[in-house]
Amino acid sequence: MGAYYCAICNQTTFCGKKKHIFGKNHQSRLRVVLLKFTEKVKEARRTLKKPQVEKFDCTQHKQKFWCYCCGLEVERNVTDDNMTVMYGGLLEHMATREHRNGTYKFWWDNKADPKLRDRVLITEEETERFKAEVAKVLECFVEKEDEYIKQQADVIRAQEKHRQEVFQCLLEPNEERESSNGPSSTDPSVEVSVSSQFQSQVSEQQVRGRFDPIIEAPWTLAGHSLTFIGYQDSSSSGNVHTGAVPPWLQDDPLEGPSGAAAQAEIGPSLQDFLKQKEQEKLRKLPPNRVGANFDHSSHTDANWLPSFGRVWNSGRRWQSRHQFRQEEGQKNKQKRKREHETGGSKKTKPAAQF
Amino acid sequence: MSFFLPKLTTKKDIDEVIKGVAEKVLVLRFGRDDDSVCLQLDEILSKTAHDLSNMASIYIVDVDKTPIYTRYFDISYIPSTVFFFNGQHMKVDYGSPDHTKFVGSFKTKQDFIDLIEVIYRGAMRGKMIVQSPIDPQNIPKYDLLYHGI
Repeated sequence: MGAYYCAICNQTTFCGKKKHIFGKNHQSRLRVVLLKFTEKVKEARRTLKKPQVEKFDCTQHKQKFWCYCCGLEVERNVTDDNMTVMYGGLLEHMATREHRNGTYKFWWDNKADPKLRDRVLITEEETERFKAEVAKVLECFVEKEDEYIKQQADVIRAQEKHRQEVFQCLLEPNEERESSNGPSSTDPSVEVSVSSQFQSQVSEQQVRGRFDPIIEAPWTLAGHSLTFIGYQDSSSSGNVHTGAVPPWLQDDPLEGPSGAAAQAEIGPSLQDFLKQKEQEKLRKLPPNRVGANFDHSSHTDANWLPSFGRVWNSGRRWQSRHQFRQEEGQKNKQKRKREHETGGSKKTKPAAQF
Repeated sequence: MSFFLPKLTTKKDIDEVIKGVAEKVLVLRFGRDDDSVCLQLDEILSKTAHDLSNMASIYIVDVDKTPIYTRYFDISYIPSTVFFFNGQHMKVDYGSPDHTKFVGSFKTKQDFIDLIEVIYRGAMRGKMIVQSPIDPQNIPKYDLLYHGI
């Protein structure tokens, strides 16, 4: 035999005088394991009295679970590829003799609480009862499935019938129009059959390829249905479902010489292209840079100046503008005065102002 | 058509609109102005047109005047609403047999607004077919005739 291995602690070596199964570590792990295991069994027990049968779902129903007592994997549900009894496998396994023996051994070896042992076992009577219940529930389930299938078949049959009728009517009105105008013996019978199937009256005069088929639209107002405007024959040109070229990408046959000139050049003009390039460059700059929203096309008048020559500005622009204009005014006055008096040119010192 | 929705009468107009409307959902309503369900739909379209003006442009097309488009989109029931984005035809899965257009009218304005928003968001992320947010009960039901019969 190999070395002693405790599956619960996942260890082979232990230290200490007493056996490790009495120790804290092992017992706590054991408790967790048992808790998880009994949870699963509790779920299964709930279905003992009321078995659950469901349609087989290959993605979910082939689950296995690990039985700690026997040390092997067991299929959780029982299925025959059509229906599944949920937890059937689990309950069956728990009823077997081997599992009973395994459980006792497990409990003894790991020194688990004997009170919990019964939760994991299932007696024979319980299984008998379960089997009876399952049989009943299976029958019910099969009946329900059959009913459902019949309903679906009815719906499909009704749709088929309706389509046939509509198609018939498409053909018959065309034939009636082609035949002579006088009432013939065949017409009333056709009319009767047609009108009995369609609730709207289809008489010769009204036939124009436009009639209201019966459509269930649960929310529409009483009697409203969609207007049918005729079967669109696009076998020659193809339509959106067949993947034909859409009309807006086809060349217009009515577009004469004007179209030819416009179609010679495709794409934007040179100007537009250069402008677009500039815009692209601008887009890469940070959006909160100074003057990002400067409108380059705004009009400024002739005597606009950026800061009027000031250096240590604080305060509003109009103040510096005002001062500038005042100085200009004084300068001009002094210039004019001197020109008047002396007639020569004299340099005037600009007055330094703070 | 009243309700101030712009109308398109020729193929050229429709082509220009499809190629011209940029970065917005283009809604084309194919139908007749005197049909009752078309009137219902037009009312919903016109009342929401202003609120959706940043996301969508809505136009009215008469099926009798543009047979080439009626044939191309295989419009058998009116009203039919077709959606485009940047010249690309958008498909929407409503739970009905035809994903290329919406047949019938919407039950509420909110349904239409939700649909436009879903199409806009899908288109902005590069999707050419989106899932409709409208409750399948509110989608008008119709039978699709197959061509092969």
